[in-house]
Amino acid sequence: MSTSHTIDFAALTLQDALDLGILIEEDARERYGEFVDQLEAHYTEEAAAFFRNMVRNEGKHRDWLTKRRTSLFGAAPSRVDASMLVEIEAPEFSEADIFMTLRQALDVALKAEVRAYRFFADALKHVRDPQVRELFTELRDEEVEHQQMVQREIDKLPPGPEPDTRGQADEPVGH
Amino acid sequence: MDVTPPAEVVERRINARQAYRSDLKPVWCPGCGDYSVLTALFAALAELQIPPHQIALISGIGCSSRLPGYAATYGLNTIHGRPIPVATGLKSARPDLTVIAMAGDGDALSIGGGHFPHAARRNIGMAYFVMDNNVYGLTKGQTSPTTPTGEQTATSLYGWPEDPANPLGLALAYGVSFVAQGVAGDVKGLARLMVEAIQWPGFAFIEILSPCVTWRGKEQYDVIRDRARPIPPEHDVTDLAAAFRYAHDPEHLYVGVHYRQRKPTFQERVTALQQKAAAKGAGNFDRYLAKFRA
Repeated sequence: MSTSHTIDFAALTLQDALDLGILIEEDARERYGEFVDQLEAHYTEEAAAFFRNMVRNEGKHRDWLTKRRTSLFGAAPSRVDASMLVEIEAPEFSEADIFMTLRQALDVALKAEVRAYRFFADALKHVRDPQVRELFTELRDEEVEHQQMVQREIDKLPPGPEPDTRGQADEPVGH
Repeated sequence: MDVTPPAEVVERRINARQAYRSDLKPVWCPGCGDYSVLTALFAALAELQIPPHQIALISGIGCSSRLPGYAATYGLNTIHGRPIPVATGLKSARPDLTVIAMAGDGDALSIGGGHFPHAARRNIGMAYFVMDNNVYGLTKGQTSPTTPTGEQTATSLYGWPEDPANPLGLALAYGVSFVAQGVAGDVKGLARLMVEAIQWPGFAFIEILSPCVTWRGKEQYDVIRDRARPIPPEHDVTDLAAAFRYAHDPEHLYVGVHYRQRKPTFQERVTALQQKAAAKGAGNFDRYLAKFRA
């Protein structure tokens, strides 16, 4: 089975679904790791620290799915291919910003969790295998928990408007 | 049942893209379009399952030309505007390698602009990815050949008075056998175009709209998103006149394959000549030189 162009959810087995879940978590973990590198390089430490936390979270989810996959299917070769599987739970590259605040970083993560929720919710419309249905329902519901977790962090921030720091790099002026 | 430690299993299922990533961390600005281009390239190479040691990435100078350093393939960061000549030499000497030349808009259309038509007419078997951000980003935002008219930049404080070059239009006019346009924000779509370009037997050009968030601002993503449209599925990719119309559309930036027409590659023509010469048998070089004696 190839996931290169479209995913045939109706044909997914539990093993495929677990492998897909692992790759989605790994893709997100990798992207947050890239954001950490980018922001650390530009001394945007607060946002980098939050994204570092996201790296740990996505890694935990990936490991949990991997354990489950291994206990059920051992080392059976994976039939899913990650080469073209991008940005299901991972935030888009364009969302990083050199002067990113913690609130902006949390907003980016929240948006990514909503996107992941939609992915599983949409996939469930096509899934046929009852075990895959159970797994995807579980993963979809977890995305709600993740959204709530991020929202709780947003709520802890001091109220009031933040300066819009996006795109505030040196800009040419004519006068 | 024996439970393999998670790390080991993860390693086996490791994202195929990782095989192409070098240890060097990119230093592009956060939000830069080139991150997406790099990820799309890794995805395309993984999809094609080309071993890293059979790939050579050849770049010029500029932000985008840092890319070969971030890949665990062979690579060369050449001099400004010269990725095409170096890649041409490499492909001629090692036709077995997958050669991908890459450049920014300044590299490709200004400093190295003269190399583009010759690679096209030779139909060298390589892909050429141009990451176009409409500005010289690395040197702090000067105008480039694709800077839009009226744009305020570090060197056009009251607006740029020139018309921008049209990279797709130029590629079509030069006779490039594969011409496409992709956008950095769409990693998956771009990766698919790259797969096609890398497999193309001949010179394959992709104009990649890759925003410079520092010198053009995040708005460049919005401008591209607003104007980008998929090329209509009914478009006949062998219709050059139609491809020109899409390339020069004043309103929309058409994403996808604009033109694709198979023609003999440089290597195929050279091989044919070699066979022709071999069929004639050994020549007499001294007799040939004698023609030039006074």
